[in-house]
Amino acid sequence: MADQKPILKADDLSMRYEDGVLALDHLNLEVHPGEVYCLLGANGAGKTTTINLFLNFIPPTTGTCFINGIDVTKDPLEAKKYIAFVSENVMLYGNFTARQNLDFFAKLGGKTALAKDDYYRVMRRVSLQEKAFDQRVKNFSKGMRQKLGIAIAVIKDAPGILLDEPTSGLDPKAATEFLEIMAELKNEGKAILMSTHDIFRAKEIGDRVGIMREGRLVMERTREELQHEDLNKIYIDYMKSAEQAT
Amino acid sequence: MTGTIARKEILANLLSYKFYVVILLAAVLVATSFFIMTRDYKERLADYSLIRPKPGEPIAVNPPNPLSIFSKGLDEAMARSFEVGPTGITVRAGQKSGNTVFAFFPTPDFLYIVRVVLSLVALLFGFDQVSREKEGGTLRLILANPASRGTVLLGKWLGNFVSLAVPFLLVTALGIAVISLDPAVRFSADQVLRLALILVLTLIYIAFFLSLGILVSTLTRQASSSLVILLFIWALLVFVLPNLGTLVARQMVDVPSVRALSEKRQQVWTREVLLRIRGVGDWASHVKTISAENDALEADYRVKFDRLVALSKNINRISPVASFIYAATEIAGTGIGEEGAFKSEVVRYKNAVLGKRLASPDAGVADYPAFRYSCRPLDRVLAGGALFDAAWLAVCGILFFGLSYFVFVRYDVR
Repeated sequence: MADQKPILKADDLSMRYEDGVLALDHLNLEVHPGEVYCLLGANGAGKTTTINLFLNFIPPTTGTCFINGIDVTKDPLEAKKYIAFVSENVMLYGNFTARQNLDFFAKLGGKTALAKDDYYRVMRRVSLQEKAFDQRVKNFSKGMRQKLGIAIAVIKDAPGILLDEPTSGLDPKAATEFLEIMAELKNEGKAILMSTHDIFRAKEIGDRVGIMREGRLVMERTREELQHEDLNKIYIDYMKSAEQAT
Repeated sequence: MTGTIARKEILANLLSYKFYVVILLAAVLVATSFFIMTRDYKERLADYSLIRPKPGEPIAVNPPNPLSIFSKGLDEAMARSFEVGPTGITVRAGQKSGNTVFAFFPTPDFLYIVRVVLSLVALLFGFDQVSREKEGGTLRLILANPASRGTVLLGKWLGNFVSLAVPFLLVTALGIAVISLDPAVRFSADQVLRLALILVLTLIYIAFFLSLGILVSTLTRQASSSLVILLFIWALLVFVLPNLGTLVARQMVDVPSVRALSEKRQQVWTREVLLRIRGVGDWASHVKTISAENDALEADYRVKFDRLVALSKNINRISPVASFIYAATEIAGTGIGEEGAFKSEVVRYKNAVLGKRLASPDAGVADYPAFRYSCRPLDRVLAGGALFDAAWLAVCGILFFGLSYFVFVRYDVR
């Protein structure tokens, strides 16, 4: 995996907001094809800032984000062709049906020649109920919306996927289903960067897990390393040491 | 990509309750306006057939303009009866609207509906274009795709413009078709062209307000804030600024009142009559003097009045709404410029009648020339300011869209 070119790469990435807050401090990370990288950390640790920088929603103070080798700041539109994004709370167009939402975002992602059956196939794949395909999204539960969010990411068929706390607020069954789909996508060779608070699921799905604190990546472990360690304890120890430091 | 976003906007509008309410409102208002104004036109046309001078009578009367159905403007002022007497013009009542309710409320012509209601409707389509997507979280999802912010903004603008313009044009075209079926209303080819230009101008006007709505939407984080700000700007542009110029200009240009002008005329007349009674000069020379001095007074008044009007217009143009009204009324032939041209024509007619009267005092009634007035040709109207006003309106719309792009590329989508 490591000998392959990374799909997602943060190179010495720092972000200081206008109010002076240092949200990200010289972050370096790489996510390779077929790899899930889980970013753990408390609120304000810099997880979402990292994702926002990859999406070019904000420019970095220093450093560079690369998607499929493309500098996100220099050529954001080209870079975004190779990335799909699922947010914490997938908000779609409530008056549109699931298929209409999927159709719009697929076209936006460059998939212009898809048929109705293609949409249905993807929605089946993410375990969305058949009866929901042509229902208005405003009546969907959060779990259904998250599934549709993944369907949007799946249909784009981008080599990289960014997930910003995707299982937050989902019931255990929906969260498990979500992670099953992630595992499938990983097996297809997608590079997945997921920010999460969920230590249990991070250990379950992550090939690598990083812990962030005050904008810095303070720990990184591989799946193999974590088999002999208690991730929960490591995380809590890091958080406690942060509290003591402050 | 722009097309994808535009189609999404159209679909979103078609699926929204707001769209149907707004379109229904526009349809009802346009239909009501056409019905009322067609009736008004027909009543004034009937009046015209009653006051129309007999052949050779020295009276200048202009028939009502069919385009006054859409833009009444100063048509009623131009449709009065101007009777040429021994020393000048006596203005008599013309074709008056039978509808006395017009005195209490603004005339509900097409321009009024567009100016007030359609501008508000365009803002309702634009006010939440960016802030709503931001609030809903969809903006992040859109911009996570290879769509530039300019593309997103242009797609939104286009989609909403089409959503607004197409139903509006359909409703208007249907109304015009119904009006055309009325045998009393006849449009010449030139008038059809003018009407088409007014519709084009209306689209530019809608585009301007849509751009303004989108601009404010990019400046705010919440759709509710955007709506409040836009309502304030709308009231300012539609009601306050277009009247401000007149007030300011009156402070800057001193124009005598119509009463003062009338008294001066009376003084001239009295002086010449007294001179004639004393046996100074012949009657023809006194008539010439009265006419010449009246014309000079009128010309002086007109110069000052024109200066006042020009200054008012220029100040009022701070609001592009005023530019829209000026351009549309001039194109319809019911504007200030047209009225000025018409009055000059009436003065020329009076001079022709007086000249003939003095040359052959015994001439019979049937010998006076008939008054004929045709609206200024369209190219003259456009060159005379309508094109400038239309261009100014378009420039303001483009400027606002450009500004919204400038703001949107810096918009924090997080």
